[in-house]
Amino acid sequence: MEDCGEPQLDAKSKVTNQLVDFQWKLGMAVSSDSCRSLKYPYVAVLLKVMDHSGQVKNKSFEMTIPQFQIYEKCSKLVIIREMQIKITTRYHTCQKD
Amino acid sequence: TMAGELEGSKPLSGLLSGLAQEAFHGHQGITEELLRSQLYPDVSLEEFRPFLAKMRGILKSIASADMDFNQLEAFLTAQTKKQGGITCDQAAVISKFWKSHKTKIRESLMNQSRWDSGLRGLSWRVDGKSQSRHSAQIHTPVAIMELEIGKSGQESEFLCLEFDEVKVNEVLKKLSEVEESISTLISQPS
Repeated sequence: MEDCGEPQLDAKSKVTNQLVDFQWKLGMAVSSDSCRSLKYPYVAVLLKVMDHSGQVKNKSFEMTIPQFQIYEKCSKLVIIREMQIKITTRYHTCQKD
Repeated sequence: TMAGELEGSKPLSGLLSGLAQEAFHGHQGITEELLRSQLYPDVSLEEFRPFLAKMRGILKSIASADMDFNQLEAFLTAQTKKQGGITCDQAAVISKFWKSHKTKIRESLMNQSRWDSGLRGLSWRVDGKSQSRHSAQIHTPVAIMELEIGKSGQESEFLCLEFDEVKVNEVLKKLSEVEESISTLISQPS
């Protein structure tokens, strides 16, 4: 699924938003119209995000538990590591060309 | 005889695949006539129709109950014993089909029951945002995360978020809380 190696983000969305709030819910789908025996847990997330103009929007989505665990693991390992690398280079003053 | 044609087990496997594609995986255009002409060309549509309905009903019952192998065996045995049911050969084909397709069918059913957006992808990078202060460059790490979200059958929306260190730590803390909840859920007897 996700490769926890070198990040290759070339953002498709040109606008970045600030995260204002992050709410989560652990739900359990029990039964449905097409399947009487669903029985699967899922993680639902509600993000409040703010764009450069100050407008706040809600974005919500779901993911399965395995999905969540992969993303969580990758995020923790890689973002923390990367941020630490970037923090240590902060103390080296590099002149721009 | 036509009845003999329907009892054969070889085309049944193909029939179940076609039924699964249509009923669970959202494949459009798998008509009665298509299945008949491809798999049971010597059977009339009038004879084929109730047979198809019976097989569709059986497959849907199995999928809806998410049968384990004990339940499956009991269910199929009962089907072989009833009037207008299935043959033992057919039961064996159905059993084999469910065992190899169960996971994929279940995944499709889970997706069908999700009406909110799903998280389709996550990418990120960490930038060193630089600010000059006098002659020194100060690099502040910023995490850029792009979420790809979308509803079933619809195009993805890309949401790009920016996090500083403080925000990253807040989010990672929340992710730990979720993980803790998951552990509690899993450790509880169902």
